[in-house]
Amino acid sequence: MKVLATYSIKGGVGKTTSAVNLAFEAARIGARVLVWDLDPQGAATYFFRIKPRVKGGTQRLVGGKGELATHVRATDVAGLQLVPADFSLRHLDLHLDGTKRPTERLASLLAAVGDRYDVAILDCPPSISLASESVFGASDDLLVPVIPTTLSSRTLDQLGRFLGDQPAPPGILPYFSMVDRRKRLHRDLVESLPRQFPDFLTSVIPNASAIERMGPERAPLATFAPATPAAHAFRDLWAEVSARIWT
Amino acid sequence: MQPQVFTHARMSSDEVTAHLTDSGFDIGPPSTVRRTVLDTFDGRLAAAGMRLELREGDHWELVLTDDASLPAHLAVTDVPSSAASLPAGPIRARLGPVLGVRALLPFVSVTARRLVAVRRDGAGKIHVRVVVQDRLAIEGGGRASPAWGVEVDELEGYDKDARQARAVLASLGLKARPIGLLDLIADRAHVDLRGYDGSPSVALSREEPAGDGFRRVLVRLADTIDANWDGTVHALDPEFLHDLRVAVRRTRSVLAQAKGVVPSAERARFREEFGWLGSVTGPARDLDVYVTEWDGYVASLGPETAGQLEPVLAHIAGRRREEHAALAATLTSDRYRRVQAAWRAWLDPEGEEPGQQAPSAARPLGSVVALRVAAAQEQVVMRGRSIGPDSPATDLHELRKDAKKLRYLLECFGGVLAGAPRKAFVQQLKALQDNLGEHQDTEVHSDRLREISRELHREPGVTAETLLAMGRLTEHFEQRRQAARDEFAQRFAAYDTKRTRRNLDDLIGSATGR
Repeated sequence: MKVLATYSIKGGVGKTTSAVNLAFEAARIGARVLVWDLDPQGAATYFFRIKPRVKGGTQRLVGGKGELATHVRATDVAGLQLVPADFSLRHLDLHLDGTKRPTERLASLLAAVGDRYDVAILDCPPSISLASESVFGASDDLLVPVIPTTLSSRTLDQLGRFLGDQPAPPGILPYFSMVDRRKRLHRDLVESLPRQFPDFLTSVIPNASAIERMGPERAPLATFAPATPAAHAFRDLWAEVSARIWT
Repeated sequence: MQPQVFTHARMSSDEVTAHLTDSGFDIGPPSTVRRTVLDTFDGRLAAAGMRLELREGDHWELVLTDDASLPAHLAVTDVPSSAASLPAGPIRARLGPVLGVRALLPFVSVTARRLVAVRRDGAGKIHVRVVVQDRLAIEGGGRASPAWGVEVDELEGYDKDARQARAVLASLGLKARPIGLLDLIADRAHVDLRGYDGSPSVALSREEPAGDGFRRVLVRLADTIDANWDGTVHALDPEFLHDLRVAVRRTRSVLAQAKGVVPSAERARFREEFGWLGSVTGPARDLDVYVTEWDGYVASLGPETAGQLEPVLAHIAGRRREEHAALAATLTSDRYRRVQAAWRAWLDPEGEEPGQQAPSAARPLGSVVALRVAAAQEQVVMRGRSIGPDSPATDLHELRKDAKKLRYLLECFGGVLAGAPRKAFVQQLKALQDNLGEHQDTEVHSDRLREISRELHREPGVTAETLLAMGRLTEHFEQRRQAARDEFAQRFAAYDTKRTRRNLDDLIGSATGR
């Protein structure tokens, strides 16, 4: 099982919409996919219309006797399952801190279901904390959405430096998110930033009203607006990620 | 995991659908779907606990299920012919190691009208899915019985809803079947979804007359030849020819061991005919091995050399097509038909004339097999011990043939040999055979490559780089052959031990009942 995490230190950059739509695209090409909603806001859980509830709370889930399998819920998308979030995840750092090896805990929970899935996508809350370190320990690659702003390269630099100090860091796969081509700054940065960070994925997720419609529709974009540029962009983005996994 | 299926002998599917509507299920629009189970001829997916299904409706999709995880779905536009014909991705990654080079073949197809009933919660989330499939028509005209079935698709985390759905169906008098709908259909169509079992092993008794036992083994091998004939003629995948060829060689080997058991005239005649069949199947098989193993051969030479060798691979692929066409012509020839008809006629005990029995045909099978195994082992040991560092390669080739004869005996007459010592003995023998096989195969490959080099020299457009790369590949084979040769003494010493002799004694004892 390949473990990916949609991760950014910043909030509101499109992590959850990416996690949901990339998971959909992964299932569409025949992967058995698990989305783990680690964000107490539970937006990924919401998009899949699943009740936001961590049975027994986060402490029980990440505790020594916790098992991911008992928390899994089928979604309405064939081949895609989800571990839902609830508000108890706001104490994830605290509960991880109470375990023996907090930075390895998420990895060990995922390893126990590793033969049931081809891909796990962790939808992470915006922060850099103990929970983030545990995500880094569990992930093969971080999918990092980047809004083209002047601070973006600084944020990516910070993440790169932090992971550089880790013993076995995940790969960083940045990509542009919420891009507005009408803005000159966006156009310029989409052109220039990949020269600075060669691993930048080439697909660009636009800032589109179709993506906002995921809220009222409560479904992955391609299920209700498959022909939109945004849906195509997620499909292309997944094709890039997929090519790195299955050659 | 296959969804549980419910049926009813008298009720109609429309009554079930109406009841589901009354029970709060939303019924979707009907669609017609053709479902086909795909697997290899020898049922590799079934053996691995997997099921690959092609669903043809408004769109086509492959559905891959196993016993331990959720179904995987992949939209397709063509029927996949092999793992390699699928796009790179998770399904190919899962199927590739299981299927190997084998072709995917349709096992059973059924067309059905499909109605999907779902029950949702207030947020619109589906909690349980019930699929009514009626107007079932088995491909090939078989009558489907039952005429309809209802599958309850259990969704992870919503067990209570699945239980309720099952209770609704039970309240109508529907019965849960222990197997899935496609298994029921396959059963009705007399299709074994486990695929063809190519094992030469048949039920044998050590007390039965040797003539009967040998004949039953030969019938089993004749069945395997027939079963693989079509796939070989149409070159569906390389394993058909491999399995046909192995069955031919086993037949010849069993006939060689049948002195005094099979009348000498028939024995001589059919040994010659199967010798012919062995020789005509050889060239195509050699080239199959070359093409399927090519990536492994060139991997250690680096990508540049591998690229320079592309014209060689293309040349081999062309030769392979020619050899397969020639083989197909041979296997559909009058001579082949005559040989097979005569062989089947001889194998049929009803056709045997009284007084035609060979002198040892009435002896107990176990004691005959024990003698043959002991003699074959003696031959392996004597020849192996005579091989020194300066012995010619032909001695090793002869030893390889001796070892094969012994192996075929153990496999074909496994029915009178105890399982545990046979397994242990075969393991030891196999280690020796692997070494001898590597030695001979690399030599055959080197020789073939030199032959191809001469052929390519005459062709226009072949570059010096390609010819030099062929030299490197020949050298690579030569190194591997030499490594196998150097290792032989050690491998043979590991085989020629007290433990092997003990295992052999146990084996012979099991055949004679000692």
